Amino acid sequence: MIELTGVTKSYNNTIKAVDNVSLTIPKGEIFGFLGPNGAGKTTTIKMITGIIRPNAGQIKINGKDIATETLAAKRQFGYVPDSPDMFLRLKGLEYVSFMADIYEVPQKVRNERILQLAQRFDMTNALGDTIQSYSHGMRQKIMIMGVLVHHPEVWILDEPLTGLDPKSSYTLKEMMREHADSGRTVFFSTHVLEVAEKLCDRVAIINKGQILFCGTFAEMQQHFQSNNSLESLFLELTKHE
Amino acid sequence: MSKIFLLSKIMMKNAGSAWGNKKGSGWKSALLLLAIGIGVLPLMLVGVMFMAGLYDGLALIGQEGALLGLGVALVSLAIFVLGIVYVLSVFYYSQDVEHMLPLPLAPWQILGAKFLVALFYEYLTSFLLFAPLLVTYGVKSGGGVLYYLFALLVYLVVPIFPLVLSALVVMLFMRFTSVGKSKDRFRLIGGLLAIVAAVGFQAVIQRQTSGRMDNIEQMQQMIVNGDNVLLNLVTQLFPASKLAALALIGSDSWSGLGYLASFLLVAAVSVVVFFFAGNRLYFRGVMGISEAMAKRKKVDESAFQKLVRPRSALMAYGLKEWRILWRTPAYLMNCTLSSVLLPVIALIPILSRQDSGEMLASLSARLQGDEAGGISLAVAFAAFLAVAGANSTSVTAITRDGQGFFLNKSLPIPYAKILIAKLMPGIILSVVSMLLLLAEGGWLLQLSPVFVVYCLLIGIPGIIFINLFGIMVDLHLPKLSWSSEQEAVKQNLNPLFTLLASALAGGLAIAGAFVMGASMTVVAVGLFALFAILDLILYRILVTKGPVWMEKIEA
Ligand SMILES: Nc1ncnc2c1ncn2[C@@H]1O[C@H](COP(=O)(O)OP(=O)(O)OP(=O)(O)O)[C@@H](O)[C@H]1O
Ligand SMILES: [Mg+2]
Repeated sequence: MIELTGVTKSYNNTIKAVDNVSLTIPKGEIFGFLGPNGAGKTTTIKMITGIIRPNAGQIKINGKDIATETLAAKRQFGYVPDSPDMFLRLKGLEYVSFMADIYEVPQKVRNERILQLAQRFDMTNALGDTIQSYSHGMRQKIMIMGVLVHHPEVWILDEPLTGLDPKSSYTLKEMMREHADSGRTVFFSTHVLEVAEKLCDRVAIINKGQILFCGTFAEMQQHFQSNNSLESLFLELTKHE
Repeated sequence: MSKIFLLSKIMMKNAGSAWGNKKGSGWKSALLLLAIGIGVLPLMLVGVMFMAGLYDGLALIGQEGALLGLGVALVSLAIFVLGIVYVLSVFYYSQDVEHMLPLPLAPWQILGAKFLVALFYEYLTSFLLFAPLLVTYGVKSGGGVLYYLFALLVYLVVPIFPLVLSALVVMLFMRFTSVGKSKDRFRLIGGLLAIVAAVGFQAVIQRQTSGRMDNIEQMQQMIVNGDNVLLNLVTQLFPASKLAALALIGSDSWSGLGYLASFLLVAAVSVVVFFFAGNRLYFRGVMGISEAMAKRKKVDESAFQKLVRPRSALMAYGLKEWRILWRTPAYLMNCTLSSVLLPVIALIPILSRQDSGEMLASLSARLQGDEAGGISLAVAFAAFLAVAGANSTSVTAITRDGQGFFLNKSLPIPYAKILIAKLMPGIILSVVSMLLLLAEGGWLLQLSPVFVVYCLLIGIPGIIFINLFGIMVDLHLPKLSWSSEQEAVKQNLNPLFTLLASALAGGLAIAGAFVMGASMTVVAVGLFALFAILDLILYRILVTKGPVWMEKIEA
C-alpha cells in the first residue's frame, strides 16, 4: 500500500517536477507509472523511497510515513533504481549478500533465496564475478536480485524492464504477478505500453509533473469512449496542446 | 583545430569543478578558498624569499642566470612527475573516452583535446612556484616589458616538453600492459615498481647530496660548480630548459630571441612526436580500459557460504567500503596503499643520510631523556596526525559513493550508522600507519615501552579526531558528480582540509609541550584527555547533525 497526498517537488525552486500528486496504490495491485521523458516519474519514485524530500505533501508506505517513521517505512519496500551502474567493484554475490545484511535476512532463507533467484534470472555463473564485468541487463538483474532477496512487501521499480532479455523480462513479470497476487504491492515505471496494458491492474499517466489519468485500462477506454490501444490513448493524452 | 578546443572545453566542463557541488553556497566556497590560501600562500612566500636570497647570493658572483636554468629544469621535472598522474587520469581513467571513440573525430583531435586538458592542469600547478620564480627574477634583475613577455611565453611553453615525455611514458606503459586478464593487477604492480624505483632513485641522490644542501650558501656553491648529480641529471633530461633560461636572460638582445625561437621549436617538435606516437599507442591502450576480469563459473559451495555469511548492517556496510577501497585502483593508490607507503617513504630521508647512524643514536638518547620526553611525545603525536591527515579515506568517504550515494537514503539503516561505517576504514588505515611509524621508531630509536604505550594512548584519539573532522568536511562539500574514480580522490580539494587540520593540531601540540616544558606523562595525559573530549564532542555532532547534513545532499 502506497499513499501519496498532495506531493510537490521543484528542483532549485524553478519548475515543478512533480506538482500536487495524490495517488493510492492498494495492496494486491500492480501499478504502472507512465509518462513521457522528464514527466516526473523518477522524481516521484525518489520521493517515495526517501532519496529526495518533497517540498509539500505526505507519503506513506504501508501506513508508515517516510518523513517521520523513516526506518520503518524503508523496511517496507525494495527499490531498483533506473541506473544499475553501481557497486561495480563488488562481486554480484557480495552485493546481494550486502543487501541481505542491510535488511537482516536470516542465514537459512538467504542461501536458498539467492540460489533460487540466480537460477530464475540465469545468473548462477555470474555471481562470482564483479558487477563491472556484467552487461547492462545483467546489472539490472543483480539489482533486482538485491531487492528480492529481502522479500519486501512493496516493490518499487524504476524502469526495471529496460535491457532485460525476453526470458528475464518474462520471469520478472511473472514474479510481479505472483507478488501482487499474494496480497502485496508492485509499483513500477515503464515506457513499454504493451507491458503496462497487459500486466498492470491500474496505471497512472503523468505529464509535466501532473497526473493526467489514474485508473484501469478499461476505465480509460470508457473515459475516452474509444477502443483504442493504450498506446494511442497515451499519445492522445500527452500530446502537446 | 577548432574541434580540439571544443572537445577540451567539454571535457573540462564534464570533469566539473574541483570543489564540491557547482552550486555550493557562498560561504563554503569562501572557506575553501581560505583554506587553499592558508595552505598555499606561505608556500609561495617561502619560495619567493628563498629564490630572492639565492638570487642575491648568485648575483655577487655574476651567476644569477643559473637560478633560471635550475628553476626551469626543476619545474620541468615536477611537471613530468605530475604529468604522469594527470595523463593517467585524463587520458585513461576518465570515462569520456568511451563516448568519444564512436564520434567522427580523427584520433589526433581526441588526443589533442586530452593533451590540452592535462596541460591546463599543469598550468594551474606550476602557478605555485614557477610563476613566482619568473616574477622574482624579473623584479630582481629589473627586467623590462620584453622580459615579462618572454616570461609569459616561457611559462606557457615550458610544460609542453615534459608533459609530452610523461604522456609517452604512460602511453607506452598502458599499451604494453593492455594484455591478459588481470590488467588492473598488472598495472598496479607496474605502478608500484615505478614508485619503488623513483623512491630508490631519490634515496641514492639524497645520499650523494646530504649534508651539502643544508643552507643557501652551499646550494649556491653547488649550482655554480655544477657538481650535483641531481641537477646535472635534470638539466640533461630537459635540455631545452637551458634554452628557455638563456632566452629569458637575454630577453633584451637578439640572441635572446634566437634562444626563444629554438626553445619554441623544440616544443613544437615534441608535440609532433606526441601526436605521432599517440596515434600508434593511445587507442590500443585505452580501448577496453573498463574491461574487468570475469570467470563466469559457478561459485563453489565453500566460497559461496563464506560470501553470504550474515553480518550486522554496520559491519556489512563497513566491509563494502573496505572492499571497494582495495579494489578500485584509484582508491588503492590514494587511500589504502598510501597509509603503508607514507611511513615507509618517511624513512628514506633519514636512512639515506650518510651520517644517519650517529644522528639516530644521539636522537634516541636525547629523545627519551626527561626534559625532552614531553616534546618528543608531542612530535610523535604530530607525526601520527600528519599521516592521518595525509590519508584521504575519510575525507572522501561521501564523495567516493558518487551517484550511488543516493541509494544510501533508501536503505533502512540510520544515517548515523552509515557515517560510522564509513569512518571505520579510514581509522583502521591511519592506525596501521601509526603502528608502522612506531615499529620504525622502535627499530631505529629504541623507543622505550612506556613511550610506545603513551604514543598509542594519544595517537588513537588523535587519529579519530582527524577522521571525524574529515568526514564532516566531506559531508559539507561532497563532490558526487565525478565521471571517474580518479576524479573523486585526485581532483578533489577536500583532503587539503584534513592536511591543514592535522598540521595545525600537531603544531599546537608541539608548541604546547614546548612552552609548558611538560614531562612525558603530563603531555600524554593532557593530549589524551584533550583529544578524547574533542572526539566525544565531534562524535556527538556527527551522530546528531550528520544525518541532517546528509539529508541535505540532493542532486
Ligand atoms: N537533479 C535534478 N536537478 C534538476 N532538475 C531535475 C533533476 N532531476 C530531474 N530534474 C527535472 O525534473 C523533471 C522530471 O524528471 P524525472 O527524472 O522525474 O523524469 P522521468 O519521468 O523519470 O523521465 P524519464 O522517462 O526520462 O526517466 C525533468 O524536467 C527534469 O529536468
Ligand atoms: Mg526516469
